[in-house]
Amino acid sequence: MNTILNDYADEVQAILARYPQDQKRSAVMPLIHLVQARDGYVTKQAMTEIAEIVGISVTDVASVVGFYTLYHEEKGGRYHLQVCTDLPCALRGADEFLAKLCENIGIKVGETTPDGVITIEEVTCLAGCHHAPMFQVQGDGAITYHENQSVDSALEIIAELRRKAAAQEAE
Amino acid sequence: MSKMVTLSIDGRSVTVPENTLVVDAAKMNGIDIPVFCYHPKMKPVGMCRMCLVEIGRPMIDRATNQPVLEDNGSPKIQFSPKLETSCTTPVSEGMVVLTRNDKVEAARKEIIEFILTSHPLDCPICDKGGECPLQNLTMRFGSKEGRFLFDEKMHLAKHVPLGELIWLDRERCIQCARCVRFQHDVVDDPVLDFHNRGRSLEIMTFSEPGFGSYFSGNTTDICPVGALTTADFRFGARPWEMKPAASLCAQCPVGCNLEYTVRREAKSGGATVIKRALPRQNESVNEIWICDKGRFGYHYTQDPARLGQPLVRRDGELVPVTFEEALKIIAEKAAHQPFQILAGGKLSTEDLAALRGLAQESGGKAWLHTYMSGGFTPHYGLSADANLGALGQGDAVLVAASDLHEEAPIWWLRVKQAAERGAALIVMNPRPTRLKKYARHVIRYAYGEESLAVAAMAEENLALAGEEIRAAAETLKSARNLVIFYGSEGLGLTGSKGLEQALADLLERGGFTGRENSGLIGVWHAPNLQAGFELGLPPAEGLADLPAGGVLYLAAADPAGDDPRQAAYFSGREFVIVQDLFLTESAKLADVVLPVLAYTEREGTFVSGERRLQRYYPALAARPGLKADFALTALIAKSLGYELEGRAASLALEKLAASQPAFEGLNYLKLAEVHEQWPQVGGSDLYYGGTSYANRQGLGKHLSRAAKPEPDAAPLREGIRDVPKNALRLVPHTRLYDAGSTFAPSRLLDQRRARRQLRIHPRSAEPLGLQQGSQALIELEGAPFTAEIVLDETIPGGTALYPRSLGVPMNAPFHAVVKPVFDKSAS
Repeated sequence: MNTILNDYADEVQAILARYPQDQKRSAVMPLIHLVQARDGYVTKQAMTEIAEIVGISVTDVASVVGFYTLYHEEKGGRYHLQVCTDLPCALRGADEFLAKLCENIGIKVGETTPDGVITIEEVTCLAGCHHAPMFQVQGDGAITYHENQSVDSALEIIAELRRKAAAQEAE
Repeated sequence: MSKMVTLSIDGRSVTVPENTLVVDAAKMNGIDIPVFCYHPKMKPVGMCRMCLVEIGRPMIDRATNQPVLEDNGSPKIQFSPKLETSCTTPVSEGMVVLTRNDKVEAARKEIIEFILTSHPLDCPICDKGGECPLQNLTMRFGSKEGRFLFDEKMHLAKHVPLGELIWLDRERCIQCARCVRFQHDVVDDPVLDFHNRGRSLEIMTFSEPGFGSYFSGNTTDICPVGALTTADFRFGARPWEMKPAASLCAQCPVGCNLEYTVRREAKSGGATVIKRALPRQNESVNEIWICDKGRFGYHYTQDPARLGQPLVRRDGELVPVTFEEALKIIAEKAAHQPFQILAGGKLSTEDLAALRGLAQESGGKAWLHTYMSGGFTPHYGLSADANLGALGQGDAVLVAASDLHEEAPIWWLRVKQAAERGAALIVMNPRPTRLKKYARHVIRYAYGEESLAVAAMAEENLALAGEEIRAAAETLKSARNLVIFYGSEGLGLTGSKGLEQALADLLERGGFTGRENSGLIGVWHAPNLQAGFELGLPPAEGLADLPAGGVLYLAAADPAGDDPRQAAYFSGREFVIVQDLFLTESAKLADVVLPVLAYTEREGTFVSGERRLQRYYPALAARPGLKADFALTALIAKSLGYELEGRAASLALEKLAASQPAFEGLNYLKLAEVHEQWPQVGGSDLYYGGTSYANRQGLGKHLSRAAKPEPDAAPLREGIRDVPKNALRLVPHTRLYDAGSTFAPSRLLDQRRARRQLRIHPRSAEPLGLQQGSQALIELEGAPFTAEIVLDETIPGGTALYPRSLGVPMNAPFHAVVKPVFDKSAS
């Protein structure tokens, strides 16, 4: 059974409708976003289902998932905090910022906090070079940008994310 | 004829067709530009940068739009500030290419250094060592030392199985994407791809089974490093220890040209053995590719179960004797008896001719063991300079009753490519096959109605035909050439004969007979059935067709193994001789069993389904005491006082050429002729096409057109006899990885081997209580068998598909009651 078609029949049709009939493979990225919003990451099962919907091989779907840092193949934290450390950002202290931030919350790059809320990742260009240090938070199916950051401001955002997660857990 | 362009490469003026890439233009004129990612069979991507050259173009005055001239009147050349990739740059008029100056050499040195940043220096234990472009180019252009830090080399997994056939060494991979592009663009099995990016880029597969493609082995040929290796050969031998021998693949009728590389080794007790099979270039047959069945299928030739000594029946038991004794017994028992011979399609042309000769001399008859009919192909088949590779816009290809991807993968590839070049592909089959994707017309018919569907297309009156048939008939009207492949899906011998004649009629009515690239191709189940049909041997599905009495002589045919009920036909014979590689079920019933040489230990010829007569050479020395089939048949003939050519295969073919018009003028020397082929592969060049061998031993020759056969008046549809109540119609189909005696010994493919499964539509299965994955009992009279049920919505209702050569004792459609095998504990 195709769980994506099952859970998101209308959404899938709306996504497919954006592309020509013979170019269904164009729908692969929005579909990955759709399933990642549901599961938090992209399982092999989901890749197989997407491959079936757009008519390409599961290997090709996996290749797209593997190429983009916005897609996750492993279950990480609820929120992925992605810090850009490319050259222009590094010149504005992004690497130092990342190291200190990690030190403060006690995990290494790529790891998830014990409460399962935050995963810290190092990514390439987010197109915010002039406002570095900067990062984006990916989670709950949305992405938010946070520019001109300091370790303190970042810790505040993390605290806010933890409150949000706790509030949602409580519901 | 495309426009020609003149340019200068390293000071030489060369003229090539427009749109030629600079790297190819150079190679065509004997100049090697080193490459890694570029491959002449695939579109360029410019990923590796190894092919950088300096390119200049005539300067144009923007104001006047006229070429700027030097003082001496020659056009002024403006060189690009940077080097350009010669694999992505097409030639242009007046271009000046420099491939050997200091700037280019410095760039090559840097690219090599860059590629080697994390490449392991494990050449001494690498399978590619000795035939590796990276190794060769490093020796030629690389610097002695790298400036990158040795301690910072990436260390990655070195033994990654991409499935059980192909292994990946991630450290060695230089990310050229040749394998990825081959799988996507050439064979359309997109099961390899890149994962991640930058330094973390790696090859992966998510298919089930891993790297699920019938063409996977080719990626190990075109891999420019030792990253991809086959499980069959890896760590097997070093390239320089092995000797190559030209051969042919004996797994199907395509006739792919092969090179076996052999080595004498302690591991095999001092014997010389085949270590691997590699493609040998023949652009008219297999280009530079082979399928995995051909690559891994040779193991039967050196299987320990092969017979080494003749056996004769004494007191009911088969006991070993010498050849002299065996021949003496045959001379005693078979004297003055007619020989009824059943010959298999795995025999060489010379073997079949010898068997036919013995039958004629003794007053008997030789039959071809097959469930396919092909008597019309000598006249309606391909001839002269036919080449599937030349089919394109304006031509048509019809594939009827065949799943080419399963039956002959290289033909599938050639037909796919013809369709991509613009040929109109018509696919006729009762269920969808992989060719459907490339087809212009898809015609569905019910199993058993194949010749009716073809006849409908051939008839002028199309009013009664379906829309698709009418559209296909319309396409055929304007086609320049028509090549027809016909297979055996859903057909036994009778149905096959009907289909063959209907297709011949289609060619005839369309005026295609005699056109240079048109004709009928049988997708046979054996490599050399075509030769049998050329020799006029009548087909026989089993022994029921052979007259009783006399001597029964089976060569490379095992009717009792195919169907145990055939054993009954052995009892009424005076004397039974079986000649085979193995102690087959039929051999166990014989009076005399004669072992023979495998085709890899002797020379001979096969006629491909395209009617190309091709030579194979001995890869290994003849096993002591054993003889080739034709020589053995000649010895038998001699002991009975008949004269046959048994001295050499070349003499046997010459004798045949003198009496059989289609073979006229052909001999072993002609078959060994070669000409230059494009692209150039297999040399020690830097323009690297892969480990595929250059063809130095012969491209083969087409047979000439034979006389027109008489159509059969007999009923040509598969007869439906004694249909039991509630019976299903069971129809045969062919799976590539079967359990036939010449493929089963390749144990490597066991996991992918097809199983004895009955494919059936869920709606047909439900009322019978058959469930997915359950075992069913098929009540075939005299030979009941079980099979696993696979529910498949593409199978027409009321029918079920069973695979051939997987233990079902039938090769033709039949009706039978199918019911679940109930678990005893449940009742």
